[in-house]
Amino acid sequence: MPLLKIDDKEIQVESGTTILETAIASGIEIPYYCYHPALEVVGSCRMCLVQVEGMSKLQVSCNTFIGEVHPDRKVNGKYDMVVYTQNELVVKERKNILEFLLLNHPLDCPVCDQAGECYLQDYSFKFGNAHSRFEEEKRVRPNEYLGSQIVINHNRCILCSRCVRFTQEISGTSELFVEARGYNSKIAALEDKPLDNLLAGNVADICPVGALLSTDYIHKNRIWNLEQKPSICQDCSVGCNVDVFSQQDQIFRLTARENQDVNGYFMCDIGRYGFHRFEKIERISHPMVRNGKSFNVLDWDEAIKKTADLIEKSKEKTAGIVSPFHTNESNYLLGLLMKETLGYLPPITGEEITFPTKFRISADRSPNLRGVNDICGDLVKDFTSIIKTRDIRGLYILDDGVDRKLDDSWKDILAKMDFVIVQSYAMTELAKSAHIVLPGLAPFEREGTITNDKGRIQWLRPSLATKGDSKPDWEILMLVRNALHKESEYFADLGEVIKKMGDQFPNYSGISLFKIGTQGMALT
Amino acid sequence: MNSNGTPKQKFIFTDSGRMEKILSQYPDKRSATLPLLHLAQTQEGFITGAIIDAVAQYTEIHPAEVMDCVSFYTMFFRRPLGTNKLQVCQTLSCSLNGADDFVDHITQKYGTKPGETTSDGKFTLLKVECLGSCGTAPVIQINNDYHEGLSINELDKLLDSIP
Ligand code: SF4
Ligand code: SF4
Ligand code: FES
Repeated sequence: MPLLKIDDKEIQVESGTTILETAIASGIEIPYYCYHPALEVVGSCRMCLVQVEGMSKLQVSCNTFIGEVHPDRKVNGKYDMVVYTQNELVVKERKNILEFLLLNHPLDCPVCDQAGECYLQDYSFKFGNAHSRFEEEKRVRPNEYLGSQIVINHNRCILCSRCVRFTQEISGTSELFVEARGYNSKIAALEDKPLDNLLAGNVADICPVGALLSTDYIHKNRIWNLEQKPSICQDCSVGCNVDVFSQQDQIFRLTARENQDVNGYFMCDIGRYGFHRFEKIERISHPMVRNGKSFNVLDWDEAIKKTADLIEKSKEKTAGIVSPFHTNESNYLLGLLMKETLGYLPPITGEEITFPTKFRISADRSPNLRGVNDICGDLVKDFTSIIKTRDIRGLYILDDGVDRKLDDSWKDILAKMDFVIVQSYAMTELAKSAHIVLPGLAPFEREGTITNDKGRIQWLRPSLATKGDSKPDWEILMLVRNALHKESEYFADLGEVIKKMGDQFPNYSGISLFKIGTQGMALT
Repeated sequence: MNSNGTPKQKFIFTDSGRMEKILSQYPDKRSATLPLLHLAQTQEGFITGAIIDAVAQYTEIHPAEVMDCVSFYTMFFRRPLGTNKLQVCQTLSCSLNGADDFVDHITQKYGTKPGETTSDGKFTLLKVECLGSCGTAPVIQINNDYHEGLSINELDKLLDSIP
């Protein structure tokens, strides 16, 4: 293995790695713009220049490879390469490059959405010059739409071509190109072929500066006002890792969070903009019990007791309806409560879409169907016919919040029941027809584990506070269960539920939230 | 569809033999992009949206990549030009030897500034970068032919001789 000396550090590296990759891996900062670990290297921005001993000019570290040299040619008799990332020459060159990159830049950080997470700001601050020698007039271009949800501010663009390579290599759609050349270059899309693919939103994420903007977030907030929390997208069973950015429990945007075992660096626009759907939903804020045509509000103690009593009375004749939108723990607890769980509400499906670099959007647009199948045993999709033919008089439904029209067969079922308990965050038609309504949480408020369609278990962490008087779904179910058991059999917290679940289902054994961490783990 | 909503005309190479020959010369189809564009421009006079689509189809790349290429090179025209393209070299030797006088002369004679086309569509005046014939400056390229070391008088006669 070649021995590299980089500044004062000696590092053994794999032959064929680049200086930049080695530096990143060993915590040495070399600034870069055009390099992106998921994209082909082009070496065009020149930000990553370093000095390599024995080479007359500075080298782009993103495209300079380290290899073994002949023993006679080793530097100081032992190094295969000696690199300086901070010497005088490098420091001076960085200043110059940054000065060039800012020639036509409007310096409009006060109104730029990227401010606070912008590599132009960060590198200028760290490595740049405080003044520019440019006295000509700046080249000014108007903003343009590249697609229906992506706007480009040309004046801020540093032409790193990350966005172009993204459409060529990752989405495979190639809508973007560099128009013209030299001083006239700019990022463009053909008028009749705009940037409108399902991965388009990622270009705003990977643009290192504030040039590409998502219309969904443009001028909505300042990044430093937002809280950033790691979460999982729940719009299909891939389960992309995301960061949720919110202020006062209102989501402003989602961005992809790196996970090489799930989504790489990216996410799709279905998931990216999906959170808006929950903004318009009519929430249930208190436990309620039916009173004729309307509901009476209950406090939680009464609600849990009433629910437990109903189940107790006709345990043999009560069935549970689980949900692929809920966590493993909620589904598991419902299973424990019931003599049997029958199935789940009609799933949401779409088209399976795959992109050239294997990024995919699953046909199953629920986050946890695999988990439901692992934990709830044999389920039937069309459970309505079974309910009709069997002697079932009570239902406990984990509602997924999708506002379905209740068809006649459902109306028949509901009419036949002595009681229907619906646990939901949204006042769906189903909830409106229930006897007891228990307010659970909306997707980005939930906590627990979900299993993606490749059998990877991930930790869903709450990004937003619970609304009104609602409670975590697993907690509601746990309280109902505790009410039906001796104190010695109580569950105290989510961890105990997970442990118990593992005892029963061997491939979920030995799991804890701590072990799952931010990157998830593969089920055995 | 075009941006104004009219259906796009499909571009068809009239010299399909030549087109096939160009395509067959390259193992990697995208390499045929430039020669196909030249062929199409010779036929049509400039590069239309339909040409972009057609070339993209033959070379199996995205139209945006064809456009990337078209916009990079100054010898592809994105708008209709006159029948005769008067291309005056602007680079050092020609500049020193009176290229600007050429431009002024043509502007006066036809009332066209650089980049403009005469109203009868006969001439377009263009300033171009180095034509690589510095030893014979000043140089004007009319369509595909070089005319080297001309005086203003000779230029004037030459222009008048164009039918
Ligand atoms: S728009 Fe952003 S990603 Fe694209 S070339 Fe410009 S700076 Fe790079
Ligand atoms: S691929 Fe699926 S999980 Fe990933 S962002 Fe899209 S909808 Fe969400
Ligand atoms: S990161 Fe190396 S040249 Fe851009």
